[in-house]
Amino acid sequence: MSEKQRKRSIFDMMNEYTEEFETLADELMESTFSGGPSWNTETCCLQALSNVFITPREVIVTADLPNIKPETVKVEAVDENLIEITAKMKKKVRFADLGIHHRQGEFSSLRCQGRIHVAIDAEKMKISCKGGILEVRFPRKKRYEIKVE
Amino acid sequence: MSESVKIVEKKAVPSGATMIIGLPDVGLVGLIATSYMISELNLEEIAYMDSDLLPPVVVLHKGLPHAPLRIYGNQNLIAVISELAVPAPAIYTVMREIVDWGQAKKVKRIVSMGGIPVESRQAIKEPKVFGAASNQELLDMLSKRGLSIMNEGYMVGPQALSMRYSVSKKASAIAILAQSFYNYPDPEAAAMALKELSKISEIKVDVSKLLEKGAEIRLNARDIMKRTQQEMNRMKKSQEYDLPLYV
Repeated sequence: MSEKQRKRSIFDMMNEYTEEFETLADELMESTFSGGPSWNTETCCLQALSNVFITPREVIVTADLPNIKPETVKVEAVDENLIEITAKMKKKVRFADLGIHHRQGEFSSLRCQGRIHVAIDAEKMKISCKGGILEVRFPRKKRYEIKVE
Repeated sequence: MSESVKIVEKKAVPSGATMIIGLPDVGLVGLIATSYMISELNLEEIAYMDSDLLPPVVVLHKGLPHAPLRIYGNQNLIAVISELAVPAPAIYTVMREIVDWGQAKKVKRIVSMGGIPVESRQAIKEPKVFGAASNQELLDMLSKRGLSIMNEGYMVGPQALSMRYSVSKKASAIAILAQSFYNYPDPEAAAMALKELSKISEIKVDVSKLLEKGAEIRLNARDIMKRTQQEMNRMKKSQEYDLPLYV
């Protein structure tokens, strides 16, 4: 095998590896986003949309909570890496209100969970809610500086 | 016309109309704005897209099946919406077909409605709207009518392709982009986009009901937003945050 052919095959392998990785990432995305309905008739909850942003000093979790009573917002740490946000809605929503008559159920709360992969100080969280957008800011636990010699 | 995608006409399609495109994208701004416009102006369904590239889905409305990607219109206006997130691999073919079909129908102008993601959207009371155009003449017209111009930046997704294919076909195209949440439905941004649309066209829509129904729309649009986010990630939509380099 010539030197040129050998080099090309390495690039081909790298391309194949990248494609494989992208397929896996797509599959992971599919399983993350399509995991069941966005409602739960047993808990009477609708799933809220949410985001987690990690900055050097903070973790910011936001959630879209339209039509809620701000005083009912609850932010709880389920475990070290998982927080749960719930809030009661001003008015119950039934499937029929959405024009859907082949399902039965009514919903009184919005709920979402956010997974956080860095250490946070949950006791120092700050919560604000404006126009139904909830923002929870958690300071990150102290970082340690590595001295460069 | 591409073999894998075709637009099926149900009724007579006007010639020389303005074509508004509102496909699911950032904050669902284009979809919310265009759907609201369709309902306020009582536009009729005149065509739909049939394609093996789209998921095998029909949407039932009042018990009757509809294609998710539909085209509405009246004598002066054509409006394209999709009730499903267009899969990223299909977006090129779908947009090329829409622009080609628009050209065949001799549309006067193609207007893509959409959002520009801004990180601090919740701190913005009134989202700003920016415009982009396929040629200098149109850009000057937007400026003259008071629209802020998006001078530098990346566009990714349906608006980007509508612009790209319009340029290659020498068609007149405009993008109207309102500051919005990235992955939360944003009816306020949609209302601002419609207000700006009225400055540059004859299309006048009262947005008060849209603003009143904002919370309800946000609640109902969660599922399509979630699926749209998945496709936006595949399209590398976050590149819209990037700074372009042109020396």
